[in-house]
Amino acid sequence: MGMDRRTFVRRTCIGSAGLLVGGLPALGGDEVVLPVAPPIDVHEAPLGKKSPLGMPGLFPGRVVEIADQRSIVGNRVSQPVVHDMLQRGLKELTGETSPQAAMAKFIEPKDVVGIKINPSGAPACCSSPELIREIISTVRSVGVPARNIVVYDRFGDEMDLGSYHALLPPGIRVVNIQDGLLDTSGYDASVYCQVSFFGEWETRSYMASVVANGLDKIINVPTLKDHSASGVTGCLKNVAYGSFNNVARSHVAPYTFTNPLIGVMCTVEPLRSKVVLNIMDGMRMVWHGGPLTQNQEFIYPSGLLLVSTDPVAMDTIELAAIDKKRLEQGAPSVWEHKASSITANGREFYEDASKNLFYRQPGHIAAAGKLGLGVSDLEQIDHRRLQIG
Amino acid sequence: MEMANKSSVPDVPAVSENDWVTLLKDNSRSGGQSAVALPSPSRALWQMRVGSSIRTAPVLREGTLYVTSTGGHLHAIQTDSGRLKWKFKAGGAIYSTPSLNGGTVLFGCDDGKVYAVNGDSGAKAWETATQGSVWTSPVVRQGVAFFGSADGHVYAVEAQTGKQRWKQEMGGRVYSTAYAAEKKIYVGCGDGHVHCLDSATGKILWSTLTGNGIDSSPALVGDTLLIGSLDFYVYALDASTGAVRWKYETGLGVSSSPAVSGEVAVIGSKDGNLYALEIASGKLRWKTRTSQVITAPAVFGDSTIYLQSGGLQALEATTGNLLWRAGLASGVQNVPVIVGRTMYLTSNEGEVYALE
Repeated sequence: MGMDRRTFVRRTCIGSAGLLVGGLPALGGDEVVLPVAPPIDVHEAPLGKKSPLGMPGLFPGRVVEIADQRSIVGNRVSQPVVHDMLQRGLKELTGETSPQAAMAKFIEPKDVVGIKINPSGAPACCSSPELIREIISTVRSVGVPARNIVVYDRFGDEMDLGSYHALLPPGIRVVNIQDGLLDTSGYDASVYCQVSFFGEWETRSYMASVVANGLDKIINVPTLKDHSASGVTGCLKNVAYGSFNNVARSHVAPYTFTNPLIGVMCTVEPLRSKVVLNIMDGMRMVWHGGPLTQNQEFIYPSGLLLVSTDPVAMDTIELAAIDKKRLEQGAPSVWEHKASSITANGREFYEDASKNLFYRQPGHIAAAGKLGLGVSDLEQIDHRRLQIG
Repeated sequence: MEMANKSSVPDVPAVSENDWVTLLKDNSRSGGQSAVALPSPSRALWQMRVGSSIRTAPVLREGTLYVTSTGGHLHAIQTDSGRLKWKFKAGGAIYSTPSLNGGTVLFGCDDGKVYAVNGDSGAKAWETATQGSVWTSPVVRQGVAFFGSADGHVYAVEAQTGKQRWKQEMGGRVYSTAYAAEKKIYVGCGDGHVHCLDSATGKILWSTLTGNGIDSSPALVGDTLLIGSLDFYVYALDASTGAVRWKYETGLGVSSSPAVSGEVAVIGSKDGNLYALEIASGKLRWKTRTSQVITAPAVFGDSTIYLQSGGLQALEATTGNLLWRAGLASGVQNVPVIVGRTMYLTSNEGEVYALE
């Protein structure tokens, strides 16, 4: 992958501001009008041609959802059940007859494969080590040696809380990109997004070196979780805010520019071409308090696994599922933008599902669709449901 | 509160009462029996920053505090002034709590090596390599250092030279710091097994399977081995056979390690509770919710328990009632060191404090 020359692109975030308003219900008396995001400059690695495996990948618009309530019992994830769910999901997604053949559509034996976990929220809700072990096993079945598998995230302390280091098999690498908020040593200074949202002193967010230079393919393993700023945190946010640094600057309560920053980051090469598969851990659904809540009142044992190459389609389904659950529980929609719902009190937010810290921006998913990352229209998504167990 | 069963306490090089030479003070994992009940800290004697995150417990010997950091340094800090005496640069990030063998500091490193550094000068004495990260703390017993590696092995090396005595393959990564008894080594493994090894040969004497991986470090009390598992249980095993005597269920995985005093062990869970369990029966004496998550071990003083979990906290040992809380020094595997009326703390943010 050529990295000797850089391109400088201004992503105009096609229609993001319009989507923001267009996706919302009509403004009520308490609804607010949100600020419009400035354009984002992108400094990326040029590619000879984009990989056909990159987002939205080989199967745009197709999402396989596997449900098995036995996958999580008493907060414990069942390794054998997850094994079956993953095998069924990979075969259904690809049409192949074995999980090995399915994985071989995305991964070659020579690849250095990154598995991007989401430990944020550990231990109550994070990418389950049981699922990561099954993904590693399937990648290895293709012929990838253990040393060429890298399980990674940005923050080491969150990975520690998930005990990933101890729980994953010997030989694979478990890597955190930075220690502490100000550590920039793990980032590539020549690949970045630049924008000033709130007059912050550092206006660049750099891509992790391991993503830019160390990996050939990435398997993205987000969780099924609401997010106080972006509405939900799924495939797009996990791989965007988990690959670039200095992203918290996109929120200053109660406002956030996760829309459009999440989608724009996902378009930046080589990230876009390297993410070949998304496997969402939906064993638990956090319907309020994400991404960090440990409050079990808001964590539902949904027993789901979702598999797709299309991050937009998968996040669209995630968003619908979380909003449905919130409405069932009497909580306001993640689309609601009422001033009366906003609190500056973190404790209140973590205990009261009617409160939020930000005006959420679930429109980041549709904005990413407009940027060509996938299908955001529920009617156009090939949503295949498999009920087992 | 009684002292831990003396018959279970391994011999260690003679150290001053004020020294903390390894995780939880000494090889008995008592957590510092002589630690007195301290009031809430009223002032900082000194404070320094090491420039990167600290995810380990400090150790102390003869007025020098040894601290490892993810920036890859071992820092030697004068306890009277907080001044840096020297720092030693290793080949990678350090997540291993250091351990003292006389005047030599031993620690593992992300580069797969275990280093031995002269505690006075900061000069490297020796290094030995494994094929994976070493996050465990080397434990020294009778001139031999025992440690586990992410390469799936437990190693025994001569503490003076680093020369390998043996290595034994486990079934998974080893992030559990071994407990060294007179003739046996006890250690947990990422594949869920608790192993007992012959300390002379490394031969596995028994193995007991729990329901998930283990990154908790065991403690031995008499003939009972205590350890937590990520299957949510605290286990008490027969140290001779590995048979399960009892197990106690918590709300989430148990990465914390037991600290023992008399007939009680205290151990934290990722469910945020600290549990006090009777060692003989597993009966719950009390449990106290201290924070959202506990992964570090507690220090078990005469009448007080100290814990770095969501900041520094002190609990009454007999009831678990909160005595005081200080909103500083957040940590994942950080453990306070208490000497007289002074408390030394490290933090995830890379701070080192001496508090009075």
